[in-house]
Amino acid sequence: MSSREAVSFWGRLVTHPAYQAVQRVALATPARRFALLALVPLVWMLATHLGPLVAMVRISLLEAYPLTAGEAPVMTLANYASFFQERIYLQPFLRTLVFSALVTVATLVTVFPIAYFIAKCVPGPRQIRLLLILLVPFWVSYIIRTFAIMVVLGNRGALNIALRELGLIDLPIPFMYTYFSLAFGVLYLTVLYMLLPLYAAIEKIDDRVLQAAADLGAGPLTRFRRIVLPLSKDGIASGCTLVFLLSTGYYAVPLLLGGPDTTLFAETIGNFFHVAGDRWPTGAAFAVIMLTTSLVAVGLFLRLLGRGGARLV
Amino acid sequence: MAGSRNWMLASLYWAFAAYLFIPIAVMVAMSFKDSRFIGFPIESWTLQWYVVVVQDAQMMGAFGYSVLIAVAATVLSLAVGLLAALMLGPARYLGKTVLFAVMCLPAVIPGVISGISLRLFIREIGLEPGTAAIILGHTVHNVPFVTIMILTRLNAMPKSQVEAAKDLGADEVVTFFRVTLPFLMPAVFGACMFSLLISFDDFIRSFFLGGYEPTLPVLIFSMLRSGMSPEINAISTAVLIVTAGLGLYAERYTRRLRSRT
Repeated sequence: MSSREAVSFWGRLVTHPAYQAVQRVALATPARRFALLALVPLVWMLATHLGPLVAMVRISLLEAYPLTAGEAPVMTLANYASFFQERIYLQPFLRTLVFSALVTVATLVTVFPIAYFIAKCVPGPRQIRLLLILLVPFWVSYIIRTFAIMVVLGNRGALNIALRELGLIDLPIPFMYTYFSLAFGVLYLTVLYMLLPLYAAIEKIDDRVLQAAADLGAGPLTRFRRIVLPLSKDGIASGCTLVFLLSTGYYAVPLLLGGPDTTLFAETIGNFFHVAGDRWPTGAAFAVIMLTTSLVAVGLFLRLLGRGGARLV
Repeated sequence: MAGSRNWMLASLYWAFAAYLFIPIAVMVAMSFKDSRFIGFPIESWTLQWYVVVVQDAQMMGAFGYSVLIAVAATVLSLAVGLLAALMLGPARYLGKTVLFAVMCLPAVIPGVISGISLRLFIREIGLEPGTAAIILGHTVHNVPFVTIMILTRLNAMPKSQVEAAKDLGADEVVTFFRVTLPFLMPAVFGACMFSLLISFDDFIRSFFLGGYEPTLPVLIFSMLRSGMSPEINAISTAVLIVTAGLGLYAERYTRRLRSRT
């Protein structure tokens, strides 16, 4: 019944003279149809996907921002130079790179056996269920999950209480506000982005290849090194890229879980934006430095894995 | 031997699941603890922190504000994302790879850079920090995810369906609304739910683009900066139930829709 109504609606629409007039002009050729369709997303993408980056680079080259009315903007590289002149900037920057790289490796090592187990050791329908179980915590807001980590690692948190009940410690270990709590938290927040690409890659490995290798006398370690690892390269590449970029970009997490000696570069950059506009150009320059460095690091990593282009998705 | 290795991997899996769930479970348990002090042991239980939350105008306001922003950003993201997916769909043309990369850009830029570059961008276009700026920032961030989800389904669509519609005399507009769009619906629905969740969850863009009114994640962050309190446990648990419920429902619903087509 509703389908007949719908048919009559569409029938009436396409036979309506106004519609036909519009159609003749706008939809006549494939090129016109495409132009009409692409207009909005194209303008949107160019304006809002590239616009912020352009604004950031432009402001990073200005001597002062916001500009005084009527004055010509003065271009300078001084904002970039200040990065290399002071240790208080260089240190958190290097710390961020090393920390993110280590967390990425730790995430890979932690998640790989889990992904392998789901993809290769359980039958098909159960795989989805096991994956779904691990996805549930990721529907919880990341600020809330960070808070949950604070509750667990506190001096009277679950971990310290468990250790004391087991008789392993007498006094609580101060886990919070250290590299440990920070790494624990970042790993906790990013595992999903490692799990899904790894699972997808390992799942595609043909079981018969593994079987053949076993028949030819390859032990578990050899099979892992010579077959599973090379064939899951794509998953490792996208997983590591995502986790690395995510961990360099966290701002609230290091503020909540880290301490004064674990200041990361995101906080350094952010501090330039809490005060009035006069320090924005320096902050913008630092953000450009961080973005370029992390993208170059990812590019080098992907090249190292033997993939020419960065195919992320 | 294979059996024992399986067993080892299985226990690793469950240990990993415990690692993911225990912090959240502990946080939920603390929201019912009858003491201002967060930590073990829990001696008596209470619902008073939930009462405090419901009566707290600032927290309820932030919750409503976050919902409003998530809905607005999702409507915009779906509109732009659907068109972007159609633009990047099966048709072949010069420069499509570059366009695809530009489309993905906001999803791969590290969070803090995204927040700051958007902050500078709204300043350049003369938009004050506030509701409109947050909605813009969220939409920019959500569009790549929405587009990719819809695009994946679009690329899996059998060509025969569109061809059949054309053979039966339907023009492009009618084909789109009566064949393509219904086929894309599960992906559109999934993208809608995902967009709602990441927008509601977003901290970094709301933090840098917000005016005086905080979204819920920004409010929770500033409360945590000044120390933990049981009210945060209660509001977090409430939000957790809403978002996890929404996520589970979306997951089941999309799978049902998909198995039907």
